[in-house]
Amino acid sequence: MTATTRPLNFTLNGQAISTQAEPATLLIDLLRSTLGLTGTHQGCDTTQCGCCTVLLDGQSVKSCSMLAVQATGRSVTTVEGLAGFGRTPDGTLHPVQEAFSACHGLQCGFCTPGMMMAATCLLQKNTKPTEAEIEQALEGNLCRCTGYVHIVDAVKQAAAVMNGGAR
Amino acid sequence: MIAAGVGQEAARFGSGAVVRRIEDRTLVLGQGQFTDDVTMPGQTWLAFLRSDRAHARILSIDADAAREAPGVLAVITGADLVAAGLKPIPTAPPYKRPGGAPFTVPLRRALAHEVVRFVGEAVVAVVADSREAARAAAALVWVDYEDLPAVAGIEQALLPGAPAVWPDVPDNRAAESQHGDAAATEAAFAAAAHRVQLHIVNQRVAPVTMEPRSVMAFMDEGRLTLRLSSQMPTAVRAAVADSIPGRTLDNVRVVVGDVGGGFGMKAGVYPEDIVLAHAALQLNRPVKWQADRVEDFTAAVHGRGQASDAELALDANGKVLALRVRSFAGVGAYPSNTSIMIPLLIGPWVSTSIYDIQTIHLKLTAVLTNNTPTGAYRGAGRPEAIYIIERLLDAAAREMGIDGAELRRRNMIRPEQMPYKNPMAQVYDCGQFEQVLDQGLALADWQGFEARRAESKARGKLRGRGIATFLEWTGGNALTETVTVNVTGDGFVEVTCATMPMGQGIATSYVQLAHDTFGVPLERIRILMGDTDRANGFGSAGSRSLFTAGGAVKVASEKTVDEGKQLAAQALEAPAADIEYRAGRFNVAGTDLGIGLFELAAKQSGGRFTVSAGATAQAPSWPNGCHITEVEVDPDTGDVQVVAYASVNDIGRVVSPVIVKGQVEGGAVQGIGQALCEAVRYDAETAQMVSASFMDYALPRVDGFKGFKTAFDQSVPCLTNVLGTKGVGELGTIGATPAVVNAVVDAVAQAGQGRAAEQLQMPLTAEVVWRALRGQYPVRAFPPSA
Repeated sequence: MTATTRPLNFTLNGQAISTQAEPATLLIDLLRSTLGLTGTHQGCDTTQCGCCTVLLDGQSVKSCSMLAVQATGRSVTTVEGLAGFGRTPDGTLHPVQEAFSACHGLQCGFCTPGMMMAATCLLQKNTKPTEAEIEQALEGNLCRCTGYVHIVDAVKQAAAVMNGGAR
Repeated sequence: MIAAGVGQEAARFGSGAVVRRIEDRTLVLGQGQFTDDVTMPGQTWLAFLRSDRAHARILSIDADAAREAPGVLAVITGADLVAAGLKPIPTAPPYKRPGGAPFTVPLRRALAHEVVRFVGEAVVAVVADSREAARAAAALVWVDYEDLPAVAGIEQALLPGAPAVWPDVPDNRAAESQHGDAAATEAAFAAAAHRVQLHIVNQRVAPVTMEPRSVMAFMDEGRLTLRLSSQMPTAVRAAVADSIPGRTLDNVRVVVGDVGGGFGMKAGVYPEDIVLAHAALQLNRPVKWQADRVEDFTAAVHGRGQASDAELALDANGKVLALRVRSFAGVGAYPSNTSIMIPLLIGPWVSTSIYDIQTIHLKLTAVLTNNTPTGAYRGAGRPEAIYIIERLLDAAAREMGIDGAELRRRNMIRPEQMPYKNPMAQVYDCGQFEQVLDQGLALADWQGFEARRAESKARGKLRGRGIATFLEWTGGNALTETVTVNVTGDGFVEVTCATMPMGQGIATSYVQLAHDTFGVPLERIRILMGDTDRANGFGSAGSRSLFTAGGAVKVASEKTVDEGKQLAAQALEAPAADIEYRAGRFNVAGTDLGIGLFELAAKQSGGRFTVSAGATAQAPSWPNGCHITEVEVDPDTGDVQVVAYASVNDIGRVVSPVIVKGQVEGGAVQGIGQALCEAVRYDAETAQMVSASFMDYALPRVDGFKGFKTAFDQSVPCLTNVLGTKGVGELGTIGATPAVVNAVVDAVAQAGQGRAAEQLQMPLTAEVVWRALRGQYPVRAFPPSA
């Protein structure tokens, strides 16, 4: 702990975390390096690609453009927490994860965690999004493999499941 | 009783069945292992200082402040690498310069030495105990440059008196090839009823993998190990061993984890790989680097970058008599074998596509520029060639007043002409091009277009329709693969191979193929890839993996079962000829006597049995398709929306239906990106790249890609490999670009521009289209006299 290091308490994937961070440390670096949660990916340095998207108090944010200390007292959810971190011994996936796999909504998987977090944010606020609303929610997330078509399909399927529809 | 035999099981999970990708679960849980996800004890980080000049002499480098900065462990310059005896990266393509002079280009060193030749070229490497410290220290290095005149692109490189990128190549023409018969072509044009000529620019684009390039190098008991994001670990191993003194193939290992997209951009060695290797050797600690996005835009290879004058001669009935093309490809500051071959040889192989054209004359020149080096990008030469012929055919159809589909039909190679040798001596084994065309026309409702055009017009939109019928060459002419099948007593079939996953889902296809033979549950089959200690080969590029290594999986699996029958015969004390195998069990025919596959493996010495076997495809495969698009243009803004995209694709036999659909549609969006929005741009004077971030380089986003209808015609299996499959990875990208551009040209031509619309050049941004609708078109990319 250096002179400038600050204590940092927040909730991560449903669990209380007590750690510390330099004032200039970005949230993504805290997650990936200090805490070892490497599911959140860094694909650019201009807040453009969305690979680093996480939920902050339920709102999708880009963790490359937020200081770690700004998470103080708040709740952060990463892809590792999507299925209920450490609480699903049966291996059940979150409906969004399930739908991305079922609809071939991923290929290389690098943009996928951020894409799923952005989709989850949408579905928590809007259980029956239109295609235009899905597109608007994912506008800040780039994918180079899928052409997006199957990603939009996946979000529609996840919405149907979360509304109690058939899988 | 055996309830489900191999036949039923295979129908559910084997080749041709719709299954979940085995890659998905790990990736959606965020548990992928991309290179940057791994951190080792004693980890150090490396940062590059890159050239901010396009062309300059390095007078001096002052790195004292960086060396003394907190946490810094090493500062490495190009001079240090020369002093350490590192060899330049070899480049010796078998080409000549114009006039027959020998090929010669700048020696490329892992760090620039004496001269920098493009913006983004790595000059100094700094290693520190944190990423932040390495970056901060790199910013403290002072390089004193003497600026040299720079060549910003093809146009500038060809001007009389242009500065030379390399003193030994005063005219910047690094290599030149001619194909075909100039005199016969000239005669055909003289006799032609119709001639069309187009100036066609295929702009430079960036492959853009979402995972930037990423390398970790470390020492493992004296062995140098690289862990990196690559399509070709064997080639990286060879290049590192070649470059670094004392390193040989046996003391270098390359491993690859998850790869966040390849698209050709991660084929072969990069200078940075060698710098990381050198740093790990010097420090004897793990060294890691992940490119930031600007580094990948400026220092990873670009694709395309070609400008052409192209002409077609036709008779009165629309039969093509001859094709003539004069092309210049801007290959950047440091050409490679790949970057020369793509425009000078690979593209020309498919220049006549699926059409019966035997008279051609192609003259192609690779031009040095002070730009990022080019390399393979999804399609690599075929997109450029197919774009030319498909633009020409639409121009000819407009000139002659013939339906574009009909003109194509009149020129297609007929099934009875197979095998067909094209004028580049490439032999197509099979193809039912008219059959694919007819399915495409039906899928797109070709006949109903005018009604849709009227409906769009009623909404104030200009609707256009475009078509591309085409084929491509796949396989990289690296047609042999060997795999090792290991049946383990603890219950797995392990298949080890040298081809590579990069997001395309190849492991799933291999599992399905292995399941065809073994009939065991998919989760009992593992595919091991990405370790030069286990397997070596060409790697994955050129849409080759499935029809080469997939064939090897089939052959090796069958040989493994044959071997298992011998072992089962011994275990069961029965004649081998009486042993039958199905669904994980060997049985003595007509008895209850039998033994499980894995039980048999457990009984063997070491608890396993292993078979290595390979397959060789006799020839490249020639996938083909008919892609038809419709666009709507807003006449007030020039904005283009792709509103329909129907494609019928002949990729031979389909192993994984879900995956190939994703490949075609995802690939098509990349091709649409080139058509509508993507371009690498350099400032014309300074040769600074002005499109080096996602704010400046327009990648396709989630909106705007609707109406994909994608179909596969499986009735024409490839005849030259054991699976009957044809490559699929690049097909969508190759077809989409001409189909979309042809649709926009159609819309603009119909809006009153007529044949003037043929002057449109990609990317067809709103501004470009808005100007075209008002009669303003771009200027030529090179002088007609060049």
